[in-house]
Amino acid sequence: MTLSAETSRDIGDAAIVSTATQPEVKAVKPSPARTARIASAITVLGLLLIWIVSAHFKLVSPVFLPSPSAVLWKFYSVSINGFVDATLWQHLLASLLRVFAALLLALVVAVPAGIAIGVSAIGRGIFDPIIEFIRPIPPLAYLPLVIIWFGIGEPSKILVIAIAMLAPIAISTAAGVKGASLDRINAARALGATRAQVVRHVILPNALPSILTGLRIALGAGWSTLVAAELVAATRGLGFMIQSAAQFLVTDVVIMGIFVIAIVAFILEIGIRRLEHLLVPWAGRE
Amino acid sequence: MAHLVLDHVSVHYDGQAQPAVTQAGISVKSGDFVVLVGRSGCGKTTLLNTAAGLISPTGGTVTVDGKKVTAPGADRAVVFQNDALFPWLSVRDNVSFALKLRGIPAQERDAVAARLLELVKLDGIGGKAIWELSGGMRQRVGLARALAAEPDFLLMDEPLGALDALTRERMQTLLLDIWTANNIGVLMVTHGIDEALLLATRIVVLAPGPGRVVRQIDAGFGRRYVSGESVRSIKADPAFNRARAELEDSIFEGEAA
Repeated sequence: MTLSAETSRDIGDAAIVSTATQPEVKAVKPSPARTARIASAITVLGLLLIWIVSAHFKLVSPVFLPSPSAVLWKFYSVSINGFVDATLWQHLLASLLRVFAALLLALVVAVPAGIAIGVSAIGRGIFDPIIEFIRPIPPLAYLPLVIIWFGIGEPSKILVIAIAMLAPIAISTAAGVKGASLDRINAARALGATRAQVVRHVILPNALPSILTGLRIALGAGWSTLVAAELVAATRGLGFMIQSAAQFLVTDVVIMGIFVIAIVAFILEIGIRRLEHLLVPWAGRE
Repeated sequence: MAHLVLDHVSVHYDGQAQPAVTQAGISVKSGDFVVLVGRSGCGKTTLLNTAAGLISPTGGTVTVDGKKVTAPGADRAVVFQNDALFPWLSVRDNVSFALKLRGIPAQERDAVAARLLELVKLDGIGGKAIWELSGGMRQRVGLARALAAEPDFLLMDEPLGALDALTRERMQTLLLDIWTANNIGVLMVTHGIDEALLLATRIVVLAPGPGRVVRQIDAGFGRRYVSGESVRSIKADPAFNRARAELEDSIFEGEAA
């Protein structure tokens, strides 16, 4: 009984709450969610331990695997003193600006395209093949073409990231638009809404949760395209920092950069979930 | 005085062997409370949606005051079985949605919403979110939203179908109160025999295969409620039971034929 009370407090899992009614059967059995969490924690700690041990006993050359403390130290020193002419924060800011500029561009293009796909057969006919063509192409494949067309400046970098974001946003938007309930559309029409008003006041807000899901996927896709986008002629950015470090075999900066990218991606994900909660509190509660 | 007429209306959906409705004639004037009853598949909802302009008839005409109906309009507000409220708007903004479509300023909209929420006995919940409401409250918000359009006709598709018995009874009297207070014409679909008898001034009995009108029965129990008699006393009247038996027979005859 005590154990079951503890577990339900720990993870707040709905499955656990039911054990209160039949404690003698289930109290000793941890829930799948808890089991998964414990397994995750052990994995992470295990990997960290292997890393610490192999670095400590120099099982692997520090050129290939620097110690965790060296990586942590680099985090501090690059934050203060910088690496390749910019501090960690300047690199981070440059990357974030690119990703968000790309997101803005992708939203402006892909949301209307998604709406067009969702509401009209002509729109679907026009945009579907384009989206389906772009979707499976890896960014590294179209990067050279974008550079040939738009040069090696900032616009190319933003464009490469934006292209990676187009498909998820357009596809999610289209799905949200198509999912609008016929009853709601009819209710608006019967209250005197024109076709444009139905789109503006019913179909769009109805699609908003879907659009935000697309935005979340797109931000992930864009963030993982970052290194590719900063391959050519960048002077700042996390991807650029990692590549420069790799060229000089400064492995600790490479690893530090990878961790920063992962952590920022995680923070962005949490931010968007907050945004969803704020903008579409009704999603899933109808 | 507005007059909604369905004249020899037939609706034949694409790819179906039989028409959903054939040659149906229904008339609703301001102050009428017309209720459509009949077994599933007799075309009640189809007829209602045709009157609303959401479906175009394949034969016959729908007219309001002699003018042909070709699209939905705010003069014929619709209340759906599934309330079809907009969860991204507050209760208040749901109610005043029709006014927003007409570009009426927010302050005026809020005043109308407050008045209508009071009318459906939901005063003070304007700021709430839709998902915070019970089924009965949602249906009343749907009703207030329809009334905000100041319609001549209220078209309701089993508006009380999803409610529990107690809430349902309270909603029935609320409907009667609103109907008389606003002198509107009501066209309503229901499965409830007692509900039809209690509310209607005229009951239209439909039969399936293909959907058609088999009988129209005048009723006056709703008017008795409006002039002060209690629902309990109306339902205890032997005349109510006789009328119910008669109505059940009509529905059954339609089935057999």
